[in-house]
Formats: sequence, C-alpha cells, structure tokens
Amino acid sequence: MTHAIELLSATRSFRSDDAVQDVTLAVPEGAICGVLGRNGAGKTTVMSLISGQDRPTTGRVLVDGEDPFENEAVLSRISFVRDNQRYPDDYFLHHVLGIAPAFAPYWDGELAAELVERFRLPRKPAIRKFSRGQLSAVAIVLGLASRSPITLLDEPYLGLDATARGLFHDILLRDLGLYPRTLLLSTHLIDESESLFDHIVLMDRGRVVLRTEAEEARHLAMCVSGVADAVQAFAADYPVLYSHSIGGLQTSTVTGRLDDDARSRAATLGVRVKGASLQDLAVAYGSGDALQDSSKEGISA
Amino acid sequence: MFTEDSPIYQQLATQIADDVVAGTYPEDAAVPSSNEFATFLHMNPATAGKALNVLVEQGILYKKRGVGMFVSPGARSQLLKQRRTDFPQQYVRPLIREARAVGIDPVELAEMIKEEYTP
Amino acid sequence: MNSIQAATRLHLTKKNMTFGVPLQIVGLIAVISALIVLIIWRAGGTPGSEEWIDGARSNGGMVFGLLGFLVYMGVQSIATTFPFALTLGSTRKAFVAGTLVWAAVTSAYLALIYAVLLLVELATDHWFVGIYIFDVYYLGTGNLLILLPTVFLGSLGALTIGALFGASWARFGNRGPIFLGAGLAIVLLGLLALVIPLITGSVLADFRLWWLAAAAVVIIAVSAVMTLQLLRSAVVR
Repeated sequence: MTHAIELLSATRSFRSDDAVQDVTLAVPEGAICGVLGRNGAGKTTVMSLISGQDRPTTGRVLVDGEDPFENEAVLSRISFVRDNQRYPDDYFLHHVLGIAPAFAPYWDGELAAELVERFRLPRKPAIRKFSRGQLSAVAIVLGLASRSPITLLDEPYLGLDATARGLFHDILLRDLGLYPRTLLLSTHLIDESESLFDHIVLMDRGRVVLRTEAEEARHLAMCVSGVADAVQAFAADYPVLYSHSIGGLQTSTVTGRLDDDARSRAATLGVRVKGASLQDLAVAYGSGDALQDSSKEGISA
Repeated sequence: MFTEDSPIYQQLATQIADDVVAGTYPEDAAVPSSNEFATFLHMNPATAGKALNVLVEQGILYKKRGVGMFVSPGARSQLLKQRRTDFPQQYVRPLIREARAVGIDPVELAEMIKEEYTP
Repeated sequence: MNSIQAATRLHLTKKNMTFGVPLQIVGLIAVISALIVLIIWRAGGTPGSEEWIDGARSNGGMVFGLLGFLVYMGVQSIATTFPFALTLGSTRKAFVAGTLVWAAVTSAYLALIYAVLLLVELATDHWFVGIYIFDVYYLGTGNLLILLPTVFLGSLGALTIGALFGASWARFGNRGPIFLGAGLAIVLLGLLALVIPLITGSVLADFRLWWLAAAAVVIIAVSAVMTLQLLRSAVVR
C-alpha cells in the first residue's frame, strides 16, 4: 500500500523545548487515522509539519513521497485548519467561503453551504467574535468542503455540542463514502471518535507512544482491578503501564493480550480483568509512567 | 453500540446476521452498503466493509458487481443451522456452569426451563 | 487559478479595505486641507497671491496622511493574513508574490485616483477657491507624468515596507519590528555617512528625479526579498 503520509524520525525543536521528538509514522492512503493524546502532546505540531506550514528541525516529512514544504503540488492536495486558527482582521464567514475555492481545486460549494446551514453558522458577526464551537464548525466546513485528498482535522470537536458532533460524524462519513480521502483527526476526546478510526497514533509529550491498527489496539493491553495485593500478583507477569490505587483497591493497565490464560489467572486471583479500551491506553500512556515505545504493530501495513 | 469484548467488525457481522435470521433482510434483498452502515453507525467505513466481507466469505451475503450486497438464498436456514450447532456451547454450558455454582440440580433446572418455556 | 493570483485574490477579498478605505482617507485629507485653507484665509491670507500659492503648494497632507495608512495596510497584509494563507495551502513564495501584486494593484488604483482628482483640481481652478491638494510640490506641481509614478512608487514602497515589518513580526514576534526598525535606522545612517561626503555641487546639479524612482524600485525589491526570507522560517503556532 502507498503511504500518503510518512514521518521519519522527525523532530521539531523550538527555542526551549522539543514540540515533537523523533516521530516516525506512516499513514496509508485512504486511512482514517486518529491522532490522540493530551493537550500539548504535539498533535498540532505534527499536523503542521505534514501540511508544510512548518519544517522539522531534523528528520524528514513526506507527503505522497515528497517534501511538502513550499511544494505547491502537494499543498494543493492538503487541507489543515489548526485548532486555534487565526483569520485576517475583520473577516466574515462569506470572506472565508469566497476565497477558499481559489486555493482548493476540489472545493464543493454545495457541501460548504449545507455545512454552514446545518451547523447554523451566522453570516453576521465577524469571525473574531465567533464562539469556540462556531470556530470549530468553520474549520470543519473548510476541511470537508475542500475535499482534499489529504485532510487534517485538528481537534474538530472543541466547543461542539452533542448534536453538532453527531452532525459532524454524519456528514464526514457520508462524504468520505462518496469521496474517499486520507484523513487525520486529532482529538483528546477518544470515546467520541474511537469508532471512526482504522489507524491510531497515540502521542504524549511530543513522542509517539503507540501506533497501531485500530482493531489491534484492543488486544494490546488489559485493565485489571481489585484488591491491591491480588492485582499486584496478577500484574507481576506483565509490563505495567499504569497503576492507580485508592485505599486497598488498585487498578492496573498492563500490556498483554486478554486470553484464556489471563482470564483463568484473574479468576484464580479474584480480580476483574477486561481488555483495555483506547481511552484506558491513553490514560495509561498519558500518565507519564510509560515512556518506552511499545508499539507492537507499526501503522504501515 | 459496540462493546470492547470482540472486534467491531465481528459485532457488526453478528448484528447483520441477526437481522437476516429475524427476516429484516429477506433472501435476495439488498443490505445497506458499507458506507451506509458507516454513516448510520458512525463507524469506520473499512471496518463496516470488513463485516460485510466476513458474511460474504461465510456465504450469507453475495456481491453483485457495481450494485451492492444481497442476502444469499438459503442464508437464513444456514444461519439457523449454525446457531443450533453453536447453541450448546454458547448458551447451555454457561447456564449449567451457573446452575452448578448456585447448586441447582439437573432435574430442577429442567423444571425451570419447562416452566419458563411455556408462554 | 494560479497560486499567485489566488494569493492576490486573498487580499482583494476585503474589497472595502483595498478600494474603499483609501478613498475615504483621501476624502478626509481633502476636507482637512480645505479647513486649513479656510483658517489661513480668515487669518488674513490673500487667495491667489504668490505667497498664498507657494504656501498652499507645500501642503504635504495628501502625501503623508496616506503614507501612514499604507504602512499599516502593508503590515496587516502579512501579519494577519499569513497564517490564513498557509492554511489555505499557499506556498510562502506565492503568498509574497501575490501580496506584491496586490500592493501594485492598490498603488495603481491610488495613482489613478490622484490623477483624476488632480485633473479635476486643475479644471476647477483649484476647487474655485484656491485650495491646493493635488497640485503640490511633492506631487509634481500639476505634472501628471510626475504625479503618476510618484504616487505609484510611493504607495508601493510604503506597502512593501509595511509588509516587511509585518513579516518581521510573524517571524520574531514583538521583537521583530523593533530589531528591524533599529537595523534599518543603522543601515540608513551608515549609507548617509557614506554618501554625504560624495554629494558635491556637481552631483546636486546632475540630480535627476529618476534617481528617486530608481531608489524606490530598489527599496521595493529589497523589501519583498527580505519579506520572503523572513516568512520562509516563520512558523504559525
């Protein structure tokens, strides 16, 4: 399979800190890839590198096999609206909708109009006065109506209410069905978005801590909970990612597949065990205890 | 919609099979496309496609090129047969396990089943 | 659409900013000039006298009033538009080139307005009451062939220098314009120190107006190149 996006040991340092450290990942063409992690994990910076808005300090970034920086052909195929996007002074919605098609060869005006109507975006106040949710909706309009072969959505859920989130999923999936593209979606709201993804990249403090196919993710780790001594006895056999205890009770997330052995061992020890969800994994890695890259399966097929 | 226990594509395949058994999708009727499932269930289109392909491999569905997926003739009876075969392992054994755990003997269990079974 | 045209259109999206506001400023300065004339007249000046005309022709309002606004326009053409241009998928190069084209369009538009208003001013014998707004020394004393290039190059220079300051801000934040301003002042003073000893009577006698035009073209070109260099390493965060 061809890779739409590849990062090879990409590091982006700013004066004092590394926003992104030694990131290697590959997203196959047509994938829907979730970039997950806490605020400040480096998700936006990775997208910024992919979209040629920024260059890595060291390492390489390839989009369709080419360096995107100042690359007109590649940039015309990418859409990326950052979560804190700034618009020119005194811009109104109609300014944005008027100019975007000039840069987006695959722009669909009808889709843009539908999104504006269904998200109830107002024509009147300047964009500067939009609420957080309205700004997210503008970004979604730009991201989806551009129909870019490579679409990066940066925290699209910020400020959206439940109805709007559902609407976003409806239109996103409908349009992906009609016009398949490679989609990267960054978010810290994992439960909300998990079922969309076929690939997962989990980031923490500028590093990729996990990259996997979505179906694999649920076999990577398990959560075991119960009386602390018993949980520790169970966890002794596995690498522990994260533990949390209150009084005599403990929950641990450990890497390892939840198989019959694990189940019967849990039954013997009297602890409850379940497969770790993506959210569990994100909490485990995001807690900072686990720093080693324990990715089992590279995202590249 | 989906649980953590088994892969999502398997859960969707089971749901579609349930609907075939229930007669929601009669034989030779079209089932929704992977994109329709994806949009309706807010899930990944590739995962939905995988569920449909699993059912094609099992002979429950068949593809018409460029048109879509349809329920195979005989799919319902095939599924029923499969489920009858799976019944002891899927339902009877857990039942007996629990009966043992709480001390219900086979005669008592049979009584209980008979009682519940009569409408 | 080619990418430079697209970047130019990005600036032209706010039509009022490009075409309306300059017109309003020209109008405002005209009104102020008229008021000043009124004051001078009330103070005892004699309209039509040689003294009166000389004083009126020194009216630099039309030149300097607009200059400040143009520099601001130049600053915002980069500072607030650059992040959005990147988001739309513009290359930095196409954005800077498109911005330069937009600045040229704006400058040509202004030159045209000035030319038309100058002709009206001359045709109405200085607005019937001896108000000199466009027929002034800075703009060639009624000579269209001087007014047109002066307004065009002057506006373009102001816009591109503004753009350069905007780029320095995009690249270095608040320190950018301060360092750029200080740097430019040092370079300018250095050049003066170099050049002043060379200015002798014969050089002054040889002075031609096109020297200024050439200097403007050089300034515009250098500003545009420096703007691109700054933006190449500017990052939106």
